[in-house]
Amino acid sequence: MIKRFLYSQKVAPYVFVMPFVLVFLIFWVYPLGSSVSMSFQKISLGQESQWIGLDNYTKLLGDTIFLKAVMNSAVYMICTLLILIPLPMLLAVLINSKLMWGREFFKSSLFFPALTSVVVAGTIFRLMFGEMDGSLINSFLGWFGIDPVKFLKGQVTGFIALLALATWRWLGVNMLYFLSGLKNIPDDYYEAASIDGASAWQKFRMITMPLLKPTSIYVLTISIYAGLAMFIESLMLWNGNNSPKNIGLTIVGYLYRQGIEKSNLGYAAAVGIVLLVLAMTINMIQLAFSGMFKKED
Amino acid sequence: MMKKGFIVLTLCALLLALAGCGNSSTNASGGEKSVIDAGAGENATELSYWTFVELHGKHFEKMLEKWNKENPDRQIKLNVTVMPYDDMHNKLSIALQTGTGAPDIADIELGKFPDFLKGTPQLEPLNDVIDPYRDTIVQSRIDIYSKDGKNYGIPTHVGASVAFYNTEILEEAGVDYTKIETWDDFKKAGEQVYEKTGKYMGTADTSAAWQESMLLAQQGADFTDESGNPKINSPEMVKALQVLKDLQDSNVIATIAGGQPDTEEAYGEYNSGSYATAFMPLWMMSRYTNYMPDLAGKVAIAPLPVIEKGMPRSVGGGGTGTVVTKTAKDVQLAKDFLAYAKLSEDANIEIWKTLGFDPVNMKVWDMKDVTHDPENEFVKYFKNNPFDVLNEIRDEIKYVKSVPASPTINNVLCTVTLNEIFEDGKDIKQALDDAQAQIEQELQ
Amino acid sequence: MKKEATLKMNEGSAIRVKKGLPLKIGLFVLFTLLCALILIPFYAIALASFKPGEELIRYGLNLKFDLSVMSFDNYTYLFTGQHAYFTWFFNSLLLTVVQVALTLFISATVAYGFSAYEFKGKNFLFICVLLIMMVPFEILLLPLYTLIFNLHMMNTYSAIVLPGIASAATIFFFRQYLSGIPKEIIAAGRVDGASEYGIYLRLILPIMKPSFAAMAILNGMNSWNNFLWPFMVLSDERKYTLPIGLKTLLTPYGNNYDLLIVGSFFSIIPIFILFVAFQKYFIDGMTAGAVKG
Repeated sequence: MIKRFLYSQKVAPYVFVMPFVLVFLIFWVYPLGSSVSMSFQKISLGQESQWIGLDNYTKLLGDTIFLKAVMNSAVYMICTLLILIPLPMLLAVLINSKLMWGREFFKSSLFFPALTSVVVAGTIFRLMFGEMDGSLINSFLGWFGIDPVKFLKGQVTGFIALLALATWRWLGVNMLYFLSGLKNIPDDYYEAASIDGASAWQKFRMITMPLLKPTSIYVLTISIYAGLAMFIESLMLWNGNNSPKNIGLTIVGYLYRQGIEKSNLGYAAAVGIVLLVLAMTINMIQLAFSGMFKKED
Repeated sequence: MMKKGFIVLTLCALLLALAGCGNSSTNASGGEKSVIDAGAGENATELSYWTFVELHGKHFEKMLEKWNKENPDRQIKLNVTVMPYDDMHNKLSIALQTGTGAPDIADIELGKFPDFLKGTPQLEPLNDVIDPYRDTIVQSRIDIYSKDGKNYGIPTHVGASVAFYNTEILEEAGVDYTKIETWDDFKKAGEQVYEKTGKYMGTADTSAAWQESMLLAQQGADFTDESGNPKINSPEMVKALQVLKDLQDSNVIATIAGGQPDTEEAYGEYNSGSYATAFMPLWMMSRYTNYMPDLAGKVAIAPLPVIEKGMPRSVGGGGTGTVVTKTAKDVQLAKDFLAYAKLSEDANIEIWKTLGFDPVNMKVWDMKDVTHDPENEFVKYFKNNPFDVLNEIRDEIKYVKSVPASPTINNVLCTVTLNEIFEDGKDIKQALDDAQAQIEQELQ
Repeated sequence: MKKEATLKMNEGSAIRVKKGLPLKIGLFVLFTLLCALILIPFYAIALASFKPGEELIRYGLNLKFDLSVMSFDNYTYLFTGQHAYFTWFFNSLLLTVVQVALTLFISATVAYGFSAYEFKGKNFLFICVLLIMMVPFEILLLPLYTLIFNLHMMNTYSAIVLPGIASAATIFFFRQYLSGIPKEIIAAGRVDGASEYGIYLRLILPIMKPSFAAMAILNGMNSWNNFLWPFMVLSDERKYTLPIGLKTLLTPYGNNYDLLIVGSFFSIIPIFILFVAFQKYFIDGMTAGAVKG
């Protein structure tokens, strides 16, 4: 009887999607809900919690360190967008050109850094950007007669190190995204444009760019997400969550600091909700602007 | 369909493996490195111990061997886990609050200790096992790990701060370190060193507040007032930073890679002779012997300079309180072993011999055969005997209060304020006022 | 021949060769430089693995090829020393294999449910799939942490595997792939009297095989490099994965830099070998998400 029921065509689809429903309910809906409710409480592990209404949120607004963390995450996100979209697009177009020798080799080499773990990559970059004059970057600068820089102690230089790490890891991946986008552009378009006497630049502007739009939107979406949620890169680069003057502190870093290091779970939950709202809003606006919804529905 | 069968079979095997991993006891494979047998027999109780200093495990290993010999019916196997400073304290804090996954014994650093005393401490009071030794040890080192008369941590050392001078650099500049008594003397010597050698006399620390606590103690002040409220912008604190800032402006001290002498980058800088002085607690000795082999035979230990002659010349710095958690498997065994391993006279002698710390049992300070043992690696490494200096200043060792606000104070000073002052040249009073406001906000 | 794109010159072949050669060389030089830049960190860490660890922490990572300080000591230590590196390595390997196998199987099952059937609530559920792709996992860290604690799953591998077992990105990818498979196969299966599950296991899964490679690599990479969540869940050193273990070596109080450097470098080698062998799948796997555009 049960077997007949389970095997019926009506019930089977629910059995198929059941794992997702379970995971969704247990590991997403429930934690998300408890995150929201935690954010209205003063709460510590193993102790009685109390409801405090919006206090956590009002406190966040006046919390200079939190605002610093939001700034850092936002600046990091914007910088990664400015670097990791145009540059990989250009590289993809170049590497895709018929004039390219050794395309596969270059593709693989540029992509390989993405395969290293952030822990390993972060350690390498931490050592490369050391402030001693013998460390890699400073010895390069030394060739040009530039004095050693204390990279990880300054706001701007610290971000240079962070962005160098991000670019190193993601340049190749984003380039591959654009390459797979390029493959979907039919040759005829270019041939037609050539007949009309269009220059290479015109073809890039009028054909490549518009037709790469879906790929660009995809890369933009994941970059916004990854930029806002960045944490481990900073954790590894500064070997801890306490960078000098909090120059490397991110939103998730602050969530970690409050939740794990100081066990203010309620306050940390509020940080998380702010991050969620921020990420959702930015991505919705971005998708609305790029006309994604119209196209899909 | 062979293939399908194979896939299903593999999946089942994997699921089983997963379940196995999930539930396997702590005796699982691997990690030989961390279990210390120390001659323990079959019936030994296995206790777990977390620390952020690998050497502390070595000390326990030695003491455990003796313990197991002397207590054949209460033998112990110690399972040591070494984690980085931040991670260990975070994990311990969570484990204690949630009541699961905590080790039986753990090291908690002084700077983090107040966090573990919040509310109802999830730690066992150790008064009963400390009592037999209470008269022999420095009381203030117990007090810093206590709350409401209950002692929760067993100290490792006094941590008397001293000056470590690289005499090679000083001789090159024609400076006699024994003549340095005040900060003014230090400044003059430093200017001479900079002029003659181009090297810096000392460090302007940005990621640790050792120097500030020394200068505060000299003025009879502290980071907090009597009731434990932060007072970071006190006149004494301003004075302390003025002294240091003036030294920095005169090229006597300079910021160092890593931000303070006790970091891996700084060890390198010292080892290659870029800085002549470190003002650090005595336990810095073991960093010299471990990480700065090039300086063997060149480093001399001396009392700290003071603002005015007659001021106390030392302050207890840093420290690790070893605790027994509420969830420990065998609380009494853990407590007894801990007292034995850290408070007995044997233990204190061993703490000096293995770790190079100034033991909390001051009787050991007077045991010439122990402290002046010519075979001791620390005695061999340094130009003069550390205990000659320690005994000179033993009545001048002040201590900094450890209160609930301390971790926050330390965090703000060492990530923000000192960087602003020494790296960015921010006005001292302004920086300290900002710090005070920040600390008060965070403590709300 | 779809690959050619924007830089294609006018069709006159004689002109093209003349104009093309300098461009060709220019492009080649540009990319060679770029690759050199990208590969420098690898070269530096490879070089560093032959030097004493303390040397590196002191002087930073550099490109000095100094035979006087270089030796195989670190490698000897890595393979013969008393440490937990290979325990971590094995843990990572096990966890990756288990996680990939389970995630692929379960995600494929869910994707099949979405693709093969029309049922009530399907659209809503699929929107949920899309939605969780947009929620930063990091914000769930704390509630998930308390949940895992309440379920008494702290310090277990299940706590690491289960939350990701129905991966949204993987479901999405498989559904796209399945939409290209003719529905007739399913209908034919029913005619032959196979059960709904039989159809999936015997007919559909084998057809999906090509798409598994890409997803195996995508999920495998994520799992192999996964750090934050396992780091929070695991507290027993003997259960650590490689990234967690390596991070614990980064402390001034441990004297473990030799192992850190050589271990970091060594952790890249297996990926490198796999990558060289299965390049195409890696690239397909990593870009799989972008195909939806």
